[in-house]
Amino acid sequence: MATATLKGRPTLTRRPARHRLLPYLLSLPALLVCIGILVPFATAVAYSLQRYNSSLPYLRKWIWWGNYQTFLTDSAFWNTVYVSLSYTIWTVGIELLLGLAIALLLQRTTRFNNAAAIACLLPLMIAPALAALMWKLMTNPDFGILSYLVGLIGLSDFRWASSPSTAMFTVVLIDVWVYTPFIMILLLAGLRALPRQPFEAAELDGVPASFVFFRITLPMLMPYILTAVLFRLLDAIQQFDIVYAMTQGGPGDRLMVFQVQAYLERFQYLNVGRSAAFLMVLWLITFILSNLFIKNWLRLRERARGAV
Amino acid sequence: MASKISGGAVLRAAARIIVLLFFLFPIFWVFLMSFQTNQQILRIPPSIFFTPTLENYTALFSGRLQTASGSLDIAFIKNLLNSIILSSCSVLIALILGVPAAYAFARFKFRLGENIAFTLLSFRFAPPLLVLVPLVAYFQMIGLSDTYIGLIWVYQLICLPLILWIVRGYFEDISPDIEHAYRVDGHSWAKTFFKIAIPLARPGIAAAALLSFIFAWNNFVFALILASADKQPVTVGALAFVTSAGIQYGIIAAAIVLSVTPTLLLALYAQRYLVEGLSLGAVKG
Amino acid sequence: MTRLEIRNLSKSFGSLRLFHDVGFAVAAGETLALAGPSGGGKTILLRLIAGIMEPDEGSILIDGKDVGGVGPEARDVGVAFQNFALYPHMTAFENIASPLRARGTETARVKERVTEVAALLKIDHVLENQPRELSNGQKQRTALARALIRRPKVLLLDDPLRNVDAKLRYEMRLELPRLLAVADCAAIYVTQDYREAMGLGDLVGILRAGRFEQIAPPAEIYTRPRSVEIARLFGDPTINLLPCRPERTAEGLQVEIFGRPMPLPLHFAAAEGRDCLIGVRPEHVSVGLQNGPGSLPFELNAVTPLNVRAVLFLRDAAGTELLATCPEDDALAFGRGHHRVFVTIDTSRALLFDRENGQTLALPAAAQPLAA
Repeated sequence: MATATLKGRPTLTRRPARHRLLPYLLSLPALLVCIGILVPFATAVAYSLQRYNSSLPYLRKWIWWGNYQTFLTDSAFWNTVYVSLSYTIWTVGIELLLGLAIALLLQRTTRFNNAAAIACLLPLMIAPALAALMWKLMTNPDFGILSYLVGLIGLSDFRWASSPSTAMFTVVLIDVWVYTPFIMILLLAGLRALPRQPFEAAELDGVPASFVFFRITLPMLMPYILTAVLFRLLDAIQQFDIVYAMTQGGPGDRLMVFQVQAYLERFQYLNVGRSAAFLMVLWLITFILSNLFIKNWLRLRERARGAV
Repeated sequence: MASKISGGAVLRAAARIIVLLFFLFPIFWVFLMSFQTNQQILRIPPSIFFTPTLENYTALFSGRLQTASGSLDIAFIKNLLNSIILSSCSVLIALILGVPAAYAFARFKFRLGENIAFTLLSFRFAPPLLVLVPLVAYFQMIGLSDTYIGLIWVYQLICLPLILWIVRGYFEDISPDIEHAYRVDGHSWAKTFFKIAIPLARPGIAAAALLSFIFAWNNFVFALILASADKQPVTVGALAFVTSAGIQYGIIAAAIVLSVTPTLLLALYAQRYLVEGLSLGAVKG
Repeated sequence: MTRLEIRNLSKSFGSLRLFHDVGFAVAAGETLALAGPSGGGKTILLRLIAGIMEPDEGSILIDGKDVGGVGPEARDVGVAFQNFALYPHMTAFENIASPLRARGTETARVKERVTEVAALLKIDHVLENQPRELSNGQKQRTALARALIRRPKVLLLDDPLRNVDAKLRYEMRLELPRLLAVADCAAIYVTQDYREAMGLGDLVGILRAGRFEQIAPPAEIYTRPRSVEIARLFGDPTINLLPCRPERTAEGLQVEIFGRPMPLPLHFAAAEGRDCLIGVRPEHVSVGLQNGPGSLPFELNAVTPLNVRAVLFLRDAAGTELLATCPEDDALAFGRGHHRVFVTIDTSRALLFDRENGQTLALPAAAQPLAA
């Protein structure tokens, strides 16, 4: 028979240690990888505070903010900032508009639209460096199909990436070709996940299509747009593959984006400290952007998990 | 009564065709080039009608190119092999390291876990050169420079966050009670992990694995900095072609075709997971 | 013999103290029905017993052995989860066989046992189906079968009838006692349904605000509730509760309800002069058409048949409401209500509660001696 409360010595039960250690044990490898990232990162921070040229190792010395201070009056630095920002703004701006337009175009779930969406994704699955190589073949002045085609419409001396005036246009075009599908596919998934009722109600009420788009579709799509755009901003500001494969930052310094500049500083001019300082400036930008991104992305992620 | 097709519909159909043309034409054109001789490629005007030749591919596979000025060694097959080794080993290691960690992060709420997960995530978005440049020095110190192991270790930067975050989401979707029930039935923790958690998260694990394979394959900058010629994957190897003298354009095209085919096929195969993978698990397709 | 014993168990989540210093014991073959509002910690208690969670303090003994620190796989406990928790990638057969597989039981024996239990639970025809192909009722039976199959020492049932439809719930309520008897284990049955608790439990425990308000056989819970809340929760239709203040008069202990003094038995003397609630079970209110000595005039508002009894909704001139029950046949005389009736209240079997804290002040004389 039961009694209400049996009096007895209160014993503190304890899980064996291995149970409490289990989560730590499981994440140990990931932790090691983390350390493997954080140690070089700290080293990079240290480099950026040093005068350090690997061809003149005996001149290596702490100069603290020295590298950063020279940036203030360094036209190469400001050129890099300008090039990176314009590259980022052009690519992400065009990709957003184009991606949204294509997503709207393919919004209805028909067999053709689904196949078209997959087909559009293919450029995204090609390594950007190889994509650049493909475009290099197509824009070759001797035999490139695109050079031939623009020649047909009268632009006989269009030099694509080799001319300072069109180099930016060319790499932006390649970036758009590769990464528009990324924004498109995310927005398409977003559009198809939107609830139907607001649209049905608007249709019943005879609300004009432009009003529906700006007041219903766009606001409801905003979390997806934000996530996709921030994702792209983060990638675009760090662009390396396409620019390096196309022109290595040239012609001149026309395409000298952050990572290409840092790469050349390190491996061509052997200026380790200055290269690291370039990367730290870039890192700061990406750090701010990635915090914004992660916030948005977590919200979207929770929504996706909640829908299960 | 004649059926009337609205102008808008025609416009939309035309727009769809233009979009497809824009995205597919470069692939199509380079594919054609890979079956052409240099003479055919240099023809003006270009034409899509030509007698296809396999000489570009045979040159790549035989590793020797006979030209008027002599013969040239091509190491492309070695590049292809490197890509296969690096990508598949990286994914395999990332799965072994990442899946248990993803499980730990999903099931046990502990601060260290969150810190690891978010550190890896935020470095997914940090400039890769920032970590790579100092790593060159460290790798020289510990003898990992220009080894597969060193490269695979660095490739974890791409693969691990992807696997961790996608698979974590799948583990979180499994009701903990299902695992509790299995434990209560008398099974050990390890058995529960392998017989319940892993099978139920399998779609997520597959998606994450395929995606990280594609991303690892497509990576350029890691190998550019860390690998010498005989460890280089196709992305770096194909670029080296352009600068090497005497190479024929058709061979470059053929190398590109061979380099992108695996990822394109994988993408087609894994299409329903792509959206989820590309958004690191935030959007379900 | 005591199979399961809980001593001084405490569990908190952060600052939220789920329960504190809880203890009870259940013998083999006995069922403890745990009732109480949701969020009262019932499910957590089951998880502690199963070893899915560890308590902050206190101990759990199975067959006299402290199982603290022992993993769920080694406790010999069967659990039927509220959400079934079937393995979605295994057939019903494999689901049920899982506890036997864990023990390395040989294949032939597994098949024999699963078939046996499945037949007992009438799911032998769906054994090859995946859980998603099963109806809710079949899922629930599969989960039960899985919990029962290896004849665990302790069986924990977490509101197993909550997610099934009314008809099945009714059937299972009749079937479960038989199953539990066959299983011969110490069973804990968690439910939010008080009738279910009364019907299934050899003992009923009411867990409220982190402690056991009462653990007793169902009959005792009904006739001798520890507090006004328990009296209100157990009983259908619910007990009538009226404010009152017992006074000693020349005629003995009296209480004034419905403007009329009524006698109270002497064991209520402790409540004298205090603000009380008097609780009168509807079956202790008798209703007639004839006025008699000690009867009160009431308006009969409605008559609702309930199984073999009828519930009468009454109201006096002041508008105070009163519930009564009577055999359904007798209710025929009342027609559909809306007329004057006369009511007598058996105050000798009433309950008295403190109006401030709801504690029971005095109990009616026990029909049988109190449990030790």
